[in-house]
Amino acid sequence: MSKGKITLKILIFLIASDLLETFTQFCFKKSAVPQNELFIQNPADALLFITNILGSGFLWIGLLSVILTFVIWSTILSKIDLSVAVPIASFSYILVPLVSIIFLGEKMSLLDWTGISFIIAGVIFVASSTEKETAAA
Amino acid sequence: MNVIFIILLIVTTSFLDTLNQLLLKSSINILNLKVSTLRNILSMILRLALFPRVWLGFCFCTLSLFIWLFVLSKADLNFAFSADSVHYIFIALSSRLILKEKVGFRRWAGTALIIIGITLITWSNR
Repeated sequence: MSKGKITLKILIFLIASDLLETFTQFCFKKSAVPQNELFIQNPADALLFITNILGSGFLWIGLLSVILTFVIWSTILSKIDLSVAVPIASFSYILVPLVSIIFLGEKMSLLDWTGISFIIAGVIFVASSTEKETAAA
Repeated sequence: MNVIFIILLIVTTSFLDTLNQLLLKSSINILNLKVSTLRNILSMILRLALFPRVWLGFCFCTLSLFIWLFVLSKADLNFAFSADSVHYIFIALSSRLILKEKVGFRRWAGTALIIIGITLITWSNR
């Protein structure tokens, strides 16, 4: 099942889904940070964690972003193959760390980036095997 | 907080997400629909909502979200997000073992690369 080529519109959608995925994780992180000191030892702690976090605006913006990503991603997959879309989407494995450094003040070592390089290569391998193998099956 | 504990939690969220994917995929396989337009997708979502197992999957998904938020409250985002790629491993294993799909050499090789990557970032953040 081979679908069409990547048009400019699809490329913009792909970039948008990468940015939204990154934005989602940024919002989730922001909603979770105030709970840094909360350790869950019993069900009451868990309930407190959940109610606290449900009260965070960032969580709801993040969830909205999840829904929007889902719609965009569905549209992308109706136009191009998964094996083409996933490697481009794996760009978020670079974007999320960059946002973590720039906006969240996180530190990353060379070893972290090496690990991420392996992960991205792995994701591309996993995705690029999709088409041929399903065709052969 | 102990990095091994954080990794275990991330593995749990990935495991729950994979269960959700399996429940969804098996329901979609039963429906056997062609999905090409946004309207088709919306009608498929409505029909999927009739499957009890899709709701079970939704519960797993919600639980996974809260565990994920707990992880983010303790760990760096760059570390957690990278480690979350562990779900590719679960997907490959469960596609092979439960859905009986073919998983070829390239996919196992990719899975191995992801494992190496996660090991490196875990080592780096220990």
